[in-house]
Amino acid sequence: MGGNEAIARGALEAGIGFCASYPGTPSTEIATTLQELADEYSIYVEWSVNEKVALEAAAGASWAGIPAICSMKSLGMNVASDFLLNLNLSGTGPGGLVIVVCDDPQGHSSSNEQDSRFYAKAAQIPLLEPSTYQEAKDIIPFALKLSQEYQVPVVIRSTTRLSHSRGLVIKGEIPKRNWSAVQLSDDLFNVPTPHLKHRDLLNKMEQISKLFEKSSWNNVPTKKEIDVLIISSGICRRYSEEAIHLLEAERCDILNLVTTYPLPIKIVKAALVQAKRVLFSEEIDPFVEEEVRSLAIELNSIPEFHGKRTGAIPAYGEMSTDIMREAIAKLMKIKFDKIEHTDSDILIPRPLTFCAGCTHRNFYWAVRKVRKRVKDKLVVAGDIGCYSLGVFYDRAMTTMQAMGSGIGVASGLGQLARFGFDDKVIAVAGDSTFFHACIPGLINAKHKGANLTFVILDNETTAMTGFQTHPGAVHQEPNLTRVKIENIVKAIEPNFFARSNANSVPELVDLLFSTIHKDGLKVLLLDSICRLEVARREPAIEGISFRIDNDLCKGEKCLICVQDFACPAFNWDSAVNYPEILEHLCVKCGACITVCPYDAITEEKIE
Amino acid sequence: MRDPFNILVAGVGGQGNLVCGRVLAEAAVLSDLRPVVGDTFGASRRGGSVLTHIRIGRTDWAPLIPKGEVDILLGLEPLETLRAASTYAGARTITIVSQTKIPTVASTGKITTYPSLELIFESLNNLCKQVIILDAEETLTRIGSMKMLNSFILGALGVLDESPLSLEVIRESLQSIFGYESVNMAAFDEGIKATQ
Repeated sequence: MGGNEAIARGALEAGIGFCASYPGTPSTEIATTLQELADEYSIYVEWSVNEKVALEAAAGASWAGIPAICSMKSLGMNVASDFLLNLNLSGTGPGGLVIVVCDDPQGHSSSNEQDSRFYAKAAQIPLLEPSTYQEAKDIIPFALKLSQEYQVPVVIRSTTRLSHSRGLVIKGEIPKRNWSAVQLSDDLFNVPTPHLKHRDLLNKMEQISKLFEKSSWNNVPTKKEIDVLIISSGICRRYSEEAIHLLEAERCDILNLVTTYPLPIKIVKAALVQAKRVLFSEEIDPFVEEEVRSLAIELNSIPEFHGKRTGAIPAYGEMSTDIMREAIAKLMKIKFDKIEHTDSDILIPRPLTFCAGCTHRNFYWAVRKVRKRVKDKLVVAGDIGCYSLGVFYDRAMTTMQAMGSGIGVASGLGQLARFGFDDKVIAVAGDSTFFHACIPGLINAKHKGANLTFVILDNETTAMTGFQTHPGAVHQEPNLTRVKIENIVKAIEPNFFARSNANSVPELVDLLFSTIHKDGLKVLLLDSICRLEVARREPAIEGISFRIDNDLCKGEKCLICVQDFACPAFNWDSAVNYPEILEHLCVKCGACITVCPYDAITEEKIE
Repeated sequence: MRDPFNILVAGVGGQGNLVCGRVLAEAAVLSDLRPVVGDTFGASRRGGSVLTHIRIGRTDWAPLIPKGEVDILLGLEPLETLRAASTYAGARTITIVSQTKIPTVASTGKITTYPSLELIFESLNNLCKQVIILDAEETLTRIGSMKMLNSFILGALGVLDESPLSLEVIRESLQSIFGYESVNMAAFDEGIKATQ
């Protein structure tokens, strides 16, 4: 069972009745798993429009007595945090509410590297970090009970390696469920005395800290003589155990904390007095390290601390057994054979790119053409999705930060003509992102008269995270109603609106060029195609094949198809020094035909 | 068997790394052992490198193999196998590698030339204890497609004396995932033949 599946299983065993989420790697599988089981266990599961709406919806359920779970990725917590830092004071009502946030150390699938545990501290709510697959399952019923008892939201934090790895889990019983909603209490707001609600919350947290001291979640050290005590949390527990095993470090033991906020004070203090030196092992920021350091001031003798604050452990990037092995070896002066191969220079990179036939490539190709025509006086404010790969595509995208930030940034840039800024401004967003966070920015641009072109790449699915249904998707589940992007955009009444097909490259170039030269707010809705989504629903196109005529192809003198347009279905055949089309990768979209300036690519019928 | 026994699968998005991990994990369970499988995917479905770390032991180990600790490296693609070996291979690493290339895409700048197989295999030999090269293309194209490469390479693994999982349990695990009739079973048998 994967870490995320274990969390979903835990939700079933806890008796969760309501799940709201927005997809984001590495958290998506939690809600996906629950969605697949929704009917069987009478759970309501939705992909909300964004994480803030998801958390609000889950709180509504919890207030009405339905146990709720809300899962999201690290960046989703930023979106949800505005509501979270009010909900903490208002309380979660009788249902109980568990928030699962999956952080992504190293940003394998994220635009940043952030530690979301600080939100638990900011909101003064309990934080639990499972360190094994079994704990990932078992912690959810515990968290829900905790939330119900103290009426506070409880945060579970996972990281990529726990969420996206698998191990054996012993399943428990799934309780019979028969939820009926109750009346909401009449104090679900914090005014006029939020400070008193804050006081009450702090009192709850003091009690919860004591409860954590008595709980069996934390693993205390068992060795008698400890030179180095590791304080670990999350998956770093396994890295620490394995490093100790590899180094045969006898006088090194582990305090593994699952209840990381508030700290189980007595447990931590008892462990600290046993050790002369402490090494912290945690993912992303020194969260536990800082909590323990400030707690240690109360001790008579303070041990030596080593961790991300001292440089013993890198303060950025992902943790591993290798990092722990090196840190322990250095502290304890243990020698080991370190394997460091120098990178071979034949190891060429395999860059991420758009799939063969992806219409996002066509759009960015058009951007590159237009950029040349306006002599580089063009800014493309980008957004989050598959099309973020535009930053790697000859830097076709200029900025890329948060969901919805493309149109927001552009609405600022679109005001700068008064300060002499004379670049044309384009904002880009995908369809799911449009619903998630672009509508306020778009209205702002219209209201303030920002001069920009907003391009919506509408492939009608949440492609990046595995094709979740969003409000604008063509294929909706029976109980869902489609909300059309075009209608929303038209209601805002941009100065210019056009809808076009992203598969036709020359028309795309012309449309983009003419549109950016118009004044005011322009919106282009491009009907785009996700080839992976199409492949899920339709058979591959047969009967035609695309060939390169080597008599017309200029080979090494040109390279436009293979190097600039760079569809993965092109390969450079170094045996003959001509490009070739790889039949098994080509999706027969024909976009490359118009990209070749020598008409060397042709479509042929095959038997 | 060493505990943990470490198998690393290296390939490109879409090649079936994840299925390899599933099959070997199931085979480990059938052998009364505890598997832990760590996948690196994320954005890599878009044709990037994919690694699957399989730890097999009597207890649960961390989801990533430490550097130098790979016992068997299964390479679905030559360049990606070399990339994995240059980080994770060590003195006891045995590598089974398919020689069929998946070309890289040049998105910016100059075309990066895919290195010759001779150079890749020479480098692999320097990094590993033993390298077994498989030519699966003709066989697999005949019986189905290169999509079955993962089952083929599992056959080759099962034959190895060093494999902690017997040919029978890998077969049983593969059958439980693909079904008895699947072409993958034929690919598995071809993998066995290729190394015998």
